Amino acid sequence: MSAMPVEVDKLMREIEDDVRHMRRKRLLARGGAGDYRDPVLYARVDETLRRAIEARDHDALLLPDFLTGEADWDLSLHLKYASHRPVVGTALIAVKRRVLLPLMRWLYEFSLENFRKQRRINTVLFACIEELAIENARLRQAIQGSERPVSGSAPGPGA
Amino acid sequence: MKLACVVHRFGADIAGGSEAHCRHVAEHLAVEHDVTVLTSCARDHITWRNEHAAGASTLGALKVLRFPASRERSLHRFAEVSELAFSGAAGESVQEDWFRENGPNLPGLLEHLRTHGGEYDAILFWAFRYAEVYFGLPHVRERAILVPTAEEDPVIRMPLLERFFALPAGYIFLTPEEQELVERRMSTATPPSCIIGSGLDPAPPGPGADLAALGLRDPFLLYLGRIDPNKGCADLLAHFTRFKAEHEGPVKLVMAGPASMPLPSHPDIRYLGFVDEPTRDALLRRAVMLAMPSRYESLSLVLLEAWNHGLPAVVNGHCAVLKGQALRANGALYYRNYDEFARCVSVLLERPEAARQLGAQGLAYVEQEYRWPTVIRKIDALLATIAGRSPA
Repeated sequence: MSAMPVEVDKLMREIEDDVRHMRRKRLLARGGAGDYRDPVLYARVDETLRRAIEARDHDALLLPDFLTGEADWDLSLHLKYASHRPVVGTALIAVKRRVLLPLMRWLYEFSLENFRKQRRINTVLFACIEELAIENARLRQAIQGSERPVSGSAPGPGA
Repeated sequence: MKLACVVHRFGADIAGGSEAHCRHVAEHLAVEHDVTVLTSCARDHITWRNEHAAGASTLGALKVLRFPASRERSLHRFAEVSELAFSGAAGESVQEDWFRENGPNLPGLLEHLRTHGGEYDAILFWAFRYAEVYFGLPHVRERAILVPTAEEDPVIRMPLLERFFALPAGYIFLTPEEQELVERRMSTATPPSCIIGSGLDPAPPGPGADLAALGLRDPFLLYLGRIDPNKGCADLLAHFTRFKAEHEGPVKLVMAGPASMPLPSHPDIRYLGFVDEPTRDALLRRAVMLAMPSRYESLSLVLLEAWNHGLPAVVNGHCAVLKGQALRANGALYYRNYDEFARCVSVLLERPEAARQLGAQGLAYVEQEYRWPTVIRKIDALLATIAGRSPA
């Protein structure tokens, strides 16, 4: 007789519920937001943040798109060597390349992974803000819809 | 049919994923077709140093034509161009420079495609990120089939790929997730294509090599492959170490593969280094689960191998391909953080019946999708379509 089939999707929902429950307890024990005593509310917060992290395409976010072209917000990870001196500039750049570059590269490679992590964190935060902004806009629409006067807006019988 | 397979390195001793995939597909296609492999003289994918003799040779039923690289890769220049190319503001010439610096630069191979490309009914290209594919495919686009082996990494986001991905006459994808990833970068409709994954022969019967000499004790999680931070191994080590600190029990982690990172010492973690095929088989038979922590995969062959042995797995859920494979096969659990990793491992340890069933379901999925006759049938159907459309 063959064993009962196991559905990964179902088992993963069970595991995710266990983890959510465990994390809520841990956060409350550490003094996390008192609102999390309500498991339904906590589940909604968890769902919203998870959606921001996992479901949103992090290459197609609104906030970075607003800022495109503004060099002062983007992390530049390329080492540039230049000189403003017209005559000795070439020699200075050569010295920088041969002497400073090897020294700088060690420091640069040491910190590069941390810069990359920072960029990933920035992207996740952008996604979270966007998710909250979308939710906020939806709630506003819902509130405005419910505030509309009933007369004149509701379709009549047979409409 | 007369076919060519273009790949950056080739040989029975080459362990890379796309190179092995190319070799296995070419060997199975050679049963029915006349197959020539067009490749470099390199063994080392870091330098592309010419080590094999240039010219014609054979490997089993395959003809192999090797072309020398015009220069070795400068890692310094490659790092500089990579930083520029992935900055998000790089122009087309910088992006093309990235492919040139990535190499291998094989002018002879490009010339062969220009002058003899029309003699092949179809030409299969492996891995879009290499120079001989990026610069070679446009010469024979009407008979070119691209096996992109694309991953969710910065290279796939290069804007100039939109034009490149419109060139091939056909595509062979490894997973539906890879197909979706490439299609997101295309400006035109997808040409004829198929999803093949990779072919596997049934696992050899019997217990495999004797593991007693290795002193391994059950139960253990198994990691197979290169031990490298880019493969998620640093996260796996951190997760497992924390798991052992928080959970009682005899479970251990066994990691088998060449290491390219410092290996922390821990009484419950064993590093075996490179292992031969019989040992690999025996490990896959004895392990309680496979751990697959990589974030970037176009197809996990190791996961398919685990299922081929009826072994369940825990995989990185941030990798769309791994998560997709886990769900389609019903053969693995997935995690996105330590808490989920710990719970997945605990569930598989605490419920051996469910773990066995997940492994059995994985094996059934391999039987259905990844046996060689199934894979070659799909490729043959695509070849017939492409050869029927391309000019003689």
